[in-house]
Amino acid sequence: MRDLLRVEGLSTRFFTGEGQVNAVESVDFTVRQGEILGIVGESGSGKSVTALSLLDLVESPGEVTAGQLWLRDADLADEFPGAADGAFVDLRELPERVRRSLRGPTFSMIFQDPMSSFNPSLTVGEQIAEAVEVQRRADANPRSTRSRTEGYGLGSYVVDGLLPNRDYTGEESHDRAVELLERVGIPDPEKRVDEYPHEFSGGMLQRAMIAQALAGEPDLLVADEPTTALDVTIQAQILELLRDIQADREMSILLITHDLGVIARMCDRVAVMYAGQIVERGTLEDVFDDPVHPYTEGLIGSIPDLDDPAPRLQPIEGNVPSLLDDEMPRGCYFADRCPKAMAACLEPQAERPVGGKEHAARCVLVDSDYDERDALSDGPEHDAVADGRGDDV
Amino acid sequence: MIRRLLDAVTGRLSPRTVQNLRSEFDTSPLTKVGVGILVVVLVTAVFAPLLAPWNPEAQNLDRSQQPPLGFTRAENQTTQETVDGEVQLIQETVQVNATVAHPLGTDGLGRDMLSRVVYGARTSLVVGVLGTLLAMLVGVPVGLVAGYYKGRVDDALMRVADVSLAFPSLVLAIALVGLFGQAAVEVPDPLVTTGLAAAIRGVTSLPGGLAYPTGMPATFTLPGTVILVVGIVNWVWFARVARGEALGVRDEEYVKAARSLGGPDRFIIRRHVFPNSITPVLVLATIQIAAIVLLESALSFLGFSGTTLSWGFDIAQGRQYQTTSWWIAAMPGLAIVLTVIGINLVGDWLRDALDPGIEGEGGGV
Amino acid sequence: MGSFGRFLLKRSLQGVVVILGVISVLFVLRYVTPGSPVDFIAPLDASDATRRRIAESLGLNQPLYVQYGDYIVSLLQGEMGYSYRSRTAVAPRVFAKLPATLELAVAATVVAVILSIPLGVISATRRHTGPDYAATVFSFLGISTPNFWLGVMLVILFAVQFGAFPTSGRPVGLLDALGHLVVIAGPERGWALPLNVGSFVAAMQNWLLHVTLPAITLGTYFTALITRLTRSGMLDELGRGYVQAARAKGLPTTLVRYRHALRNTLIPVITVVGLQLGTLIGGAVITEAVFDWPGLGSLIIDAINNRDWPLIQGSLVVIGAGFVVVNVVVDALYVRLNPRVLE
Repeated sequence: MRDLLRVEGLSTRFFTGEGQVNAVESVDFTVRQGEILGIVGESGSGKSVTALSLLDLVESPGEVTAGQLWLRDADLADEFPGAADGAFVDLRELPERVRRSLRGPTFSMIFQDPMSSFNPSLTVGEQIAEAVEVQRRADANPRSTRSRTEGYGLGSYVVDGLLPNRDYTGEESHDRAVELLERVGIPDPEKRVDEYPHEFSGGMLQRAMIAQALAGEPDLLVADEPTTALDVTIQAQILELLRDIQADREMSILLITHDLGVIARMCDRVAVMYAGQIVERGTLEDVFDDPVHPYTEGLIGSIPDLDDPAPRLQPIEGNVPSLLDDEMPRGCYFADRCPKAMAACLEPQAERPVGGKEHAARCVLVDSDYDERDALSDGPEHDAVADGRGDDV
Repeated sequence: MIRRLLDAVTGRLSPRTVQNLRSEFDTSPLTKVGVGILVVVLVTAVFAPLLAPWNPEAQNLDRSQQPPLGFTRAENQTTQETVDGEVQLIQETVQVNATVAHPLGTDGLGRDMLSRVVYGARTSLVVGVLGTLLAMLVGVPVGLVAGYYKGRVDDALMRVADVSLAFPSLVLAIALVGLFGQAAVEVPDPLVTTGLAAAIRGVTSLPGGLAYPTGMPATFTLPGTVILVVGIVNWVWFARVARGEALGVRDEEYVKAARSLGGPDRFIIRRHVFPNSITPVLVLATIQIAAIVLLESALSFLGFSGTTLSWGFDIAQGRQYQTTSWWIAAMPGLAIVLTVIGINLVGDWLRDALDPGIEGEGGGV
Repeated sequence: MGSFGRFLLKRSLQGVVVILGVISVLFVLRYVTPGSPVDFIAPLDASDATRRRIAESLGLNQPLYVQYGDYIVSLLQGEMGYSYRSRTAVAPRVFAKLPATLELAVAATVVAVILSIPLGVISATRRHTGPDYAATVFSFLGISTPNFWLGVMLVILFAVQFGAFPTSGRPVGLLDALGHLVVIAGPERGWALPLNVGSFVAAMQNWLLHVTLPAITLGTYFTALITRLTRSGMLDELGRGYVQAARAKGLPTTLVRYRHALRNTLIPVITVVGLQLGTLIGGAVITEAVFDWPGLGSLIIDAINNRDWPLIQGSLVVIGAGFVVVNVVVDALYVRLNPRVLE
């Protein structure tokens, strides 16, 4: 499989009143064509910000401060030779206008809470048709950005009040919205296309969001906790739908979740995030069967195993650190919670390959075994710098 | 009565609320400005007889239309002169200069603008505070009862509120004051009647070596009808807010529990429903004071006030001198703007600190 | 559409009830205020017989409910009785004053809406920049300044000092000015020129000159208020999930801002503006007083000073009814923008 996107050294920071927050720090990963890559981590580990950084959706006071996002796109590479490396082009070197035009046909995203991700005062169909319409206008007139907003500006808000639907989108886009709704398995799409979000159930609305994300026929669909807000039975259906669509259209999916069960069920490869860094990555088998990083071990240990009734549930003690730049330790960020922390852990750790393959981890244990004599004297919690500040970055 | 009211307000605030108020106060410089303005206005209003340099009603036609410090006024004068045995009329332009004795100038009758502005603060604040209290005393119980009982009582209240809102408050107030007359009560001013003002003023003197006049008005005119009317006009707002809160609380488990235990409705309303409405009512009250200060000044401006010592009244006076003496209208207006800004800043402070629905901006993952 | 129609019907019926309430309140008010109408009409030395005759001619000898019924019936026929003072019919006088007030209110509203919504949007989208601070300071001053004082100051500055505008009055109405456009040429003037463009321009200019300061006076508070509401609403909306989702699906910024965020911002703005319409009318009354603008406000103040009840009653009924009607329209607009409330 060919690489679709190579992320190298991505760092995203938030410059808040309380100080600099390193939400994403030096993250590397690769998304291949037609695969499902999972990113897993606790809330506040920076996985959502990573996704937003890919789509250039990080907003002030946040900012992508370093790294390259190499996208395979021969046309763009021709157009912007300065930003190109072979068939790849570094998205961060592209003008904002171009990056925005990639949202839809290249990247698309679905979010955790479908109810808040739809505009409550427009019909679902209208919002899907809108995504189709933008693409249609862009394809018809790739040079002009004006054509995409034609018939819509500050002045027309009064008119919009009187004619709430159908002022921007055309008949064709509307019909395409019906098709898309049908594709994601919404019954009676002709009728539902004209309903408002509050008339949909959560599961149906998540399907509609997937339909909306498919409007631009994206190469990479970023799914940020797509099932977290849903009932368990519905979760399975949505995952099934995602898998189905992925196989059908040969697109890639970047699946972000805190749920290892979802990862195990869906992904080809997986990356584990902790405190803004990827601490371990590899194929599903590498990471699940042969974890190296104690954090990964802990995560896997915290999945209840139905086959083994013995209590194996071991939650990781302590909290995700604050990510405030001033409060981050110099060494491994996990050291203060790590059951196997050693003196070496007080030094910064680089990512090291495990067994030469794709498997890699950011941990001293890759090269050495745990030695109790080197253990940090007072065990976990010894270096509780940020005593459980919220994880709300 | 007042003591109990204060306790009811502050005592019922949770420690967290008090802490919110404090931290909001510490972090917002604008809040400090607002509180500062209000304290100044309040002190001015209370100690007017000590602070006003002149008796605000004392006329002095020789000194009429004096400009405020830093300005001059050109006046056309016609004088008679006998030149070679012939009487000639000579037109000349004279500069009228400002004097330290009247830093904000004087009005058309030579009354000191600063003193009038100082005394005007009294009228505005008294009407603002008493009018708001009245509106609150009428509106809150009605709203609580309507929201608690729901159904017919509530429907009836809402229709009354609709009707009452169909009249613009200023129009309704003009109509009521105009029709019921402008009754006013002369309240003795304790600072003056006890001789305290005269004693204190006797030992100080004005800048420029002028003697400090000691004769201050012995009574303060309380515009009774205006207070009643602004209270009547504004009660609906309190009723609406209290009703909303009561509607929200009446179906809570603990209220249901109290009802099932057979607690009398009066008790439940006072004990469970009323405390919930305190915070929004407090925020509304601040906004209402500003609204009523503006309403009072508008009524006075239109001549429906019952007192001649009011900012709005002076602006109306100033209109007659608009071609020659802008300050007569400008000074009291600035005082109104400043006072209302102060109240609005404090209102914003309370809203930001007390209303949880407004908090929580900023980015998140 | 059916549910919208039902909503409109229900809301209109409620409006009728409120208007009836307004009429009733005014009717009651007339009888609780001190002084009998006869006192205002009869000469000071009038005999009891004369006074009785006057009372009879006013229908005051009838039982209250009959008087009430008569009043409602005459209102339905478009009559509002006769002024105590001038003995002329009230209805034509009230309706003759209506255009002046409407002109002023509409001019102020149009100016306010045109200025404030873009101002609020700019303020929200360029947060913490010069324009944002300027808009914030302006809106804070605007909501804290009494409009009549602003009017007096504008007159002193722009009319008296600079002489750029007239100080007061309304020599020509908007409808009269527009009338010049459609003057049909008659035999005396010749048939050649159906449109009287020259005099239209002159009249419009005259109207605009006179309406500018009053419209600013009346409109400033609303401009400030709507700017403030738009700014804070827009900031709220721009932080919501659907805005991020809209950006993620590739919508251009213009569309995200105006089609999505602004639309939801305007929903609460419309509610507040609807509630504030009373302030607009009250503001018009006092603005008319400042600029000697011959509208309903001046009429009401005169009527109250003269205790001319039929005139007071007539103009207040018209104001109350107008307010209710505009509120129904505002509610309808609200529902159009916010489909959720129909459920």
